[in-house]
Amino acid sequence: MSAVTVMTSKDEVKAVGAKPVSRDEGARLGFRLTLPAQILVLFISAFPLLMQLYISVTDWSPLSGTGWWNAWSMWNSFANYTDLAADARFWSALKRTAIVMIVCVPAEFLLGLALATLFADDFPGKRVFYSILLMPMMVVPAVAGYMFFMLFQSGGPVNDILSALTGSPVTIAWLSDPTLALIAVMVADIWQWTPLMFLILLAGLVGVPEDQIKAATLLGANPWQRFVTIVLPKMKTIIIIALAIRVIENFKIFDTLYIMTGGGPGVATETISVYIYKLTTQDLIWGYVAAIALAILVVLSIVAVFAMKRMARAREVPA
Amino acid sequence: MSAIHLQNLVKKFGDFTALKTMDLAISDGEFMALLGPSGCGKSTTMNMIAGMEEPTGGKILFGDRDMAGVPMGRRGVGFVFQNYAIFTHMTVRQNLAYGPKMRGAAKAEIDRRVGAIAEMLQLSPLLDRKADKLSVNILQRVAIGRSAIMEPAIFLLDEPLSNVDAAFRAVMRTELKQLQRQFRQTMVYVTHDQLEAMTMADRIAVMDHGVLQQVGTPLEVYNDPANVFVARFIGAPGMNLLKGRPAESDRGLVVDLGPLGVTPPLAGELAAAMRGARGEVLYGFRPEQATLVQNGQGLAMPVTFVERIGARTIVHLGQGEAAVKTVFDNDVGLAIGDTAVVAPTTSSVRVFDAATGLAMKAG
Repeated sequence: MSAVTVMTSKDEVKAVGAKPVSRDEGARLGFRLTLPAQILVLFISAFPLLMQLYISVTDWSPLSGTGWWNAWSMWNSFANYTDLAADARFWSALKRTAIVMIVCVPAEFLLGLALATLFADDFPGKRVFYSILLMPMMVVPAVAGYMFFMLFQSGGPVNDILSALTGSPVTIAWLSDPTLALIAVMVADIWQWTPLMFLILLAGLVGVPEDQIKAATLLGANPWQRFVTIVLPKMKTIIIIALAIRVIENFKIFDTLYIMTGGGPGVATETISVYIYKLTTQDLIWGYVAAIALAILVVLSIVAVFAMKRMARAREVPA
Repeated sequence: MSAIHLQNLVKKFGDFTALKTMDLAISDGEFMALLGPSGCGKSTTMNMIAGMEEPTGGKILFGDRDMAGVPMGRRGVGFVFQNYAIFTHMTVRQNLAYGPKMRGAAKAEIDRRVGAIAEMLQLSPLLDRKADKLSVNILQRVAIGRSAIMEPAIFLLDEPLSNVDAAFRAVMRTELKQLQRQFRQTMVYVTHDQLEAMTMADRIAVMDHGVLQQVGTPLEVYNDPANVFVARFIGAPGMNLLKGRPAESDRGLVVDLGPLGVTPPLAGELAAAMRGARGEVLYGFRPEQATLVQNGQGLAMPVTFVERIGARTIVHLGQGEAAVKTVFDNDVGLAIGDTAVVAPTTSSVRVFDAATGLAMKAG
């Protein structure tokens, strides 16, 4: 035994000569000590949520001429929620957001995984490419939006490149065509967020035990078989984390898109966030906005809970 | 089953030479241990046999097939890793079935082979257990079974017992040796533990600093070490080596050990081998092969330490260059400060050339 004396709380009490503290007393003391922090947490998380819930069942707006706490006088018996269910613009914005997500997140995942696989091995110039590859992630989204706005002008570099490739002048009006504008927006998102996917997946990839890969090789598995039977299962947790982060983030897609198209042409690239933004700043119907935001919060929470459950299950089987 | 021939095998990592021209012939069905301290090149040799590393020079032949350019998945080699490298996200059954499945064997065929190998290794009741919660001897069996199911010509084992505690190691050694008898495969076993090598191997290849020092049966390397390194490395404690010069006496050739006096006369054969040598030599004898003598011919040395190791007692004699260890029965009546007179068993004495380190032998 080493000469380490373990001091228990009882010893401590003896040492300071105070009377022993009961378990209840200890808990109460802990509560009192953490009270300021708890109030702060309550204020920044629970309070806005409750306020939002409150406003979402009223017709209150900043133009109502009264404070939000008086909103009860404008109670509209859940009209915001029934309106929402019938709001075609909301549903089409939701559908558009879903389309962007269904295209962007898998594209970012596959590109990120391919790049991570490439970077797991050594090749000349790896460090330089690595830095270049991570740069899009560091660009402020508003700046990225402006970059892609310029790139996709009808006289912009994208068309110039297409002209050079096809040999005839290309003058596509990317951002004025409803379909092409959506594609341009998705390209920008994939450009900016593939690096994050890459970074997370690379971390997972280098964590796969090398000798298990060697063992699989010795047992005759080809590279593809090794990837499917060893690498992917070992990366399950980290893949779920990466996808959950991007699904949640992508659902809130706003700044890059808003600068590129402003949600246009018309409502062709209007996602949920753009729609909420417009309702908040132009229509000023905050009761309705609160109802939409709550509905989306519920949806995203379900995604998050699902992802965390999968992660907890995956963690039972450590790599 | 397959013999292995290493011919002029060399491995360099940049400027560092991990293996200097190694020649070794391992016969079909033989259990060969590669024994040496860390960094001696034993693992490098094994990795080259497995195809995980490319030799810088020389050849590796399986039977008469040159393995140059044959990827590791096609060499027909079973490899047991130091930590077993079990696929922890799979069940025992999935681990065993992995090889045949990757090669596209039919489901019924896989089931039959997994069943047979599980039966042989007593893994049948554990087949549907997750592989991440198994004890280390089960892991060893899964690792062996996973390779054995491919019916490899050659089995390579990379210090499989180094993560196991001492008590359990004895159990695993026995189990491993029995498995080898069952499979009758050529086995190459890398270890730094001489006890493992001595107890399991048919032959031992002792290595040091990338150079093969000696190849022989466990008793050959123990009784007739080819050089000073092997003499010191094999045995616990290793062979005693005392500096001296050969000298003629009226009773025959002896070694003059300077202040320690002269040794008892050397055996006739050894004396014949040393005839003519006048340079400095190392007089060697095993700690287990010395007896206490009352007065007659022996080396008189002070007892400096008495080490009780249970079954026997190790007595340390002398100091510095002139220090030896001897192993006696526990009833030896020596205490620190006593003077002991020890006489090595004449037939067990070995003499090495101090300049080259090589054993002096007839012929």
